[in-house]
Amino acid sequence: MSVLAGLQRGFIEALYAAEPPADPRLAIHHRNARANWRGALAAAHPTVRRLVGGSFFDAACDAYALAHPSRSGDLASFGGELARFLAGYAPAAALAYLPDVARLDWAVHESFLAADAGPIDLAALSCVPQADHGRLRFVLHPAVRMLQSAHPVVAIWEANRADRDGTPGRAEGPDHVLVMRDGFEPCPRTLPASDWDALSLLAAGASLDEAFDALGEHAALLQDLLVRYAAQGVLCGFESAA
Amino acid sequence: MPATVPVAAAGIGLRAPHYAALLARRPALGFLEVHAENFFATGGQPHAYLDRFRAHYEISVHGVGLSLGSVDPLDEAHLARLAELVGRIDPFLVSEHLCWSSFGGRHSNDLLPLPYTEEALDHVVARIGAVQDRLKRTLLVENISTYVQHSRAAMTEWEFLGEAARRSGCRVLLDVNNVWVNAVNHGFDPCRYIDAVDPAHVAQFHLAGFEATPAGLIDTHGAPVSEEVWQLYEHTLARIGPRPTLVEWDTDLPALDVLLDEAEHARTLASAAAHAALAA
Repeated sequence: MSVLAGLQRGFIEALYAAEPPADPRLAIHHRNARANWRGALAAAHPTVRRLVGGSFFDAACDAYALAHPSRSGDLASFGGELARFLAGYAPAAALAYLPDVARLDWAVHESFLAADAGPIDLAALSCVPQADHGRLRFVLHPAVRMLQSAHPVVAIWEANRADRDGTPGRAEGPDHVLVMRDGFEPCPRTLPASDWDALSLLAAGASLDEAFDALGEHAALLQDLLVRYAAQGVLCGFESAA
Repeated sequence: MPATVPVAAAGIGLRAPHYAALLARRPALGFLEVHAENFFATGGQPHAYLDRFRAHYEISVHGVGLSLGSVDPLDEAHLARLAELVGRIDPFLVSEHLCWSSFGGRHSNDLLPLPYTEEALDHVVARIGAVQDRLKRTLLVENISTYVQHSRAAMTEWEFLGEAARRSGCRVLLDVNNVWVNAVNHGFDPCRYIDAVDPAHVAQFHLAGFEATPAGLIDTHGAPVSEEVWQLYEHTLARIGPRPTLVEWDTDLPALDVLLDEAEHARTLASAAAHAALAA
């Protein structure tokens, strides 16, 4: 290993140590790194932070960074494993809903930064021959995120927005969640389970025929669902088999 | 550099809490500087707002996360996003830091000091070259604030900076506050540093505030430019001449007017230096 590589390895190991280094100058970097990681995680997970409070959150951030090191110079990409981490984080064990809230916060974070896309091209869609409809695959808007939770995560998320007092409007899940941007703002909302199941199939790349087969008794909803979610911009494109 | 940004121009960093006030008032500013990574998003609000600001202002792009001096391979995904941003908004300057941030795939997300050795110089010169080739434009590299000094230094920081620019063909973003912070932390005369910089290398200045702590001065970008740094800036202007100057403020962001006043002070000093140079 070159001298430069050895120096960089030692430095990074000191910054990724749980305890700050004894050298007060090196300790400045130990603090800087944690301040930047905490800031990034707080920006992406405002609901989790408000639920647990700043000092609990900061301690969780420090432990998270050691378990899931930052892999990019772009701090917006740091924190995608927080939900999984919290599920095994003993101090948060009493908060069963917390990992799912972290998943929702992260989904909102990703939605905010996602690419733009125009509405679905209805004229082109109407040109697809009837015989080929079964092989159509729909494309969901890049800012759409979907998740499921046994807990009322959307109510918890809404209740912990800056202007709310933290009391959820519902105490029970499960929530079938769709996140979609309204203008620039990602808005999570709950869907009927049958809608969520159908959209999930389409999001996973199922053709209409495949979705129809998988949905069983709910398959009759598919046409109505396509119309509604295309109108909302959730479906923004399609690929025809031809 | 387009002629639309005069050498005595002053600018401020573009930060989300100021978007609305800036768009509503559109103050006269030489330019706005954006942190590259804040605009890596491929759509949504960051993308749309940057387009709106670009329509009214010249923009400089300042990267904080490329880890230029790391021995890890260059992060091609990061570089691709930087190239895409630069291609999209055509900034008048693109800068990064003469530092490293990551090793073995683990990022510190902090600006860490390189040792001032021939080995580190060779390495960082090659990396600057690779980035310039990828971006197809001249990169500016900025001197950072340092707290730790590596024991094996073979040259001074200013020699390292000057050689990096000379060998790679990059230009220098001279952070006057960082020169001051390092002079205090490591005990050298800041004017010695400034006087050793080749004016032909320098394309931009940064000014910022620091925090004094028992462990030394820390570059926080969270306070007004100090009186000592304004004086060092005047010395720099007299020695090097005016360059587009950014007032940086990233933490505990003040009201927009506070930043505008600091930028106006920088512009006034730079204009006076430009006139003095013409009269001489």
